[in-house]
Amino acid sequence: MNALQLDEAIILNALREVIDPEIGCNIVDLGLIYNVRTAGTKARVTMTLTTPGCPMSESIAHGVQMALLNLEGVEDAEVELVWDPPWHPDMMTEEGRHRVGMTPR
Amino acid sequence: MSGVNSQPAATRQNAAAHAPATANAPSGMLPLRFILTGVLALAVGMVWVAARPDVLTTYHYNQYVIALTHLFVLGWLCTVVMGAMYQLVPVALETKLHSERMAKWQFVFQVVGFAGMVWMFWIWDMKQVGHFGSALAVGVGLFVYNLARTLLRVPRWNVVATAVASGLFWLSLTILAGLSIATAKCTYESAETLAATSVLGAMIHGLRSLAMFMARFDQLGAMHAHAHLGVVGFFIMVLVGVSYKLVPMFTLSEVQSKARAACSVALLNLGLAGAGATILLRSPWKPLFALVIIAGLAVYGWELTQILRARKRRPLDWALRYFLTALALLVPVSLMGAVLSWPTLPLNATTGQLENVYGFLGLIGVSSFAILGMLYKIIPFQVWFTTYSQHIGRSRVPALADMYSARWQAAGYWLFAAGLLVTSLATFFSHAAGVRLGGLLLTLSVGTFIVNVAKILHHLVRPRITPLSLKPRPGVPTDTSPAAMSGSSSPKAENAFAV
Repeated sequence: MNALQLDEAIILNALREVIDPEIGCNIVDLGLIYNVRTAGTKARVTMTLTTPGCPMSESIAHGVQMALLNLEGVEDAEVELVWDPPWHPDMMTEEGRHRVGMTPR
Repeated sequence: MSGVNSQPAATRQNAAAHAPATANAPSGMLPLRFILTGVLALAVGMVWVAARPDVLTTYHYNQYVIALTHLFVLGWLCTVVMGAMYQLVPVALETKLHSERMAKWQFVFQVVGFAGMVWMFWIWDMKQVGHFGSALAVGVGLFVYNLARTLLRVPRWNVVATAVASGLFWLSLTILAGLSIATAKCTYESAETLAATSVLGAMIHGLRSLAMFMARFDQLGAMHAHAHLGVVGFFIMVLVGVSYKLVPMFTLSEVQSKARAACSVALLNLGLAGAGATILLRSPWKPLFALVIIAGLAVYGWELTQILRARKRRPLDWALRYFLTALALLVPVSLMGAVLSWPTLPLNATTGQLENVYGFLGLIGVSSFAILGMLYKIIPFQVWFTTYSQHIGRSRVPALADMYSARWQAAGYWLFAAGLLVTSLATFFSHAAGVRLGGLLLTLSVGTFIVNVAKILHHLVRPRITPLSLKPRPGVPTDTSPAAMSGSSSPKAENAFAV
């Protein structure tokens, strides 16, 4: 795979393998990923967590970095953890809502 | 190549404002040693109730009941809560534990202290109770100092920090009260021969003076004040405080009114200060302060209900059901507390048995049921963090709920609830066979918990890890650890990540 093929869909697909172990749902469907950018072989993900005191924060951020580096074409991965805007359940996908038992939109 | 620690400047700035909480947590094995010791004490205590139902069918002012109570309070509740606090306080308040080494030493003092105290209460050797109690007090001193230093570093003081600080204060007072009560039950003949100017003599004379001071108070009143300061002041206070952090976290909700949350903690503190004094002095003002505590609990219940109503994660898992059922038991326990605080209540056999039910439901119904629920969150997290946190993103790892059996957990819930009901009724009616049956149900419930704990701990030795990619790439730490290579893999997981 070359750098051009390293698009957002592929990265999001990879990040679906990273779960929030407490909620049991992947971080993409939870709506934790705010932004994905690629430049050449570099991937940069801006993300948040459900709460600043989340005890899994370091593990999840580490997991995102590992998932990015596991992708062919990615040589450099950066994870930016932000708290603004704060995460809200409305950011979840339909799949995420289903997994946490919320009613469909 | 970026590593986990080589994040961009923006990340570092954000991390400074909200440091990754896990980075603050002590090693997973520290809380686990406290928790597993506590669970062992709980199991022994439940077997004890089933084997010796007379501990609940007779009035509680005797050596065996006091021994069992201290097994539950110090061996189970205190040990587990302390272990959990070493984990939760830094995480919930986004700071670092002051000293992990100090916590390890405290564990030694705690185990030696409570085990010796229970044994010495059983054979009623109060002098040795004092000695083992002193060892325990050294440990509690280390715990309080360690947590207090941790709290001093909290970046944003909030209601959780206030509740934890309050709990530490009431715990310290409880230990001082307990040691004073034990001091008053000892004799100090050597004070006649030892000069007060020597170190040993000064200590003995000081203890004799304390014993003479304590003799002014009613023994039963002092014991009841000691018990209330410990159970309400430490266990309930800490449960209330940390639940303002944990319940919103587990249910995807948030505190609905910070003022209401602060009010609940303030009322509990006010009520405890008054209740401690009025119970000790057997004052007719006892009901007033009992009502202040109940008001604090009612405000807490109000806020918790609002948090749950606003939750986005609709299903309540079994861990939360344990916890919330325990909190619901605060209603009958509070009612009993209000009745028992009434100054003109006759002290007869019925009142005595009601006091037993009150104490039993307070310790086992409210505190233990709630803590068992929270342990279904804390233990999987500890083990998950130890086993899987380095594999996430490189391998497929289980969620916390996949680490134990929900069926065993549900069975444990119903057994515990049935055990509480049967034991409470049998205690009230002084029915020994009923208490034995209730004790057996509770023992079985604890058995289901131990089975699940074993399942969780099994992940430490046989992790369930499915590598997502085994392609060797320069600089990328591909998950080829023995744990990952030997992990079970489902057909679906094979090559699930071929891009």
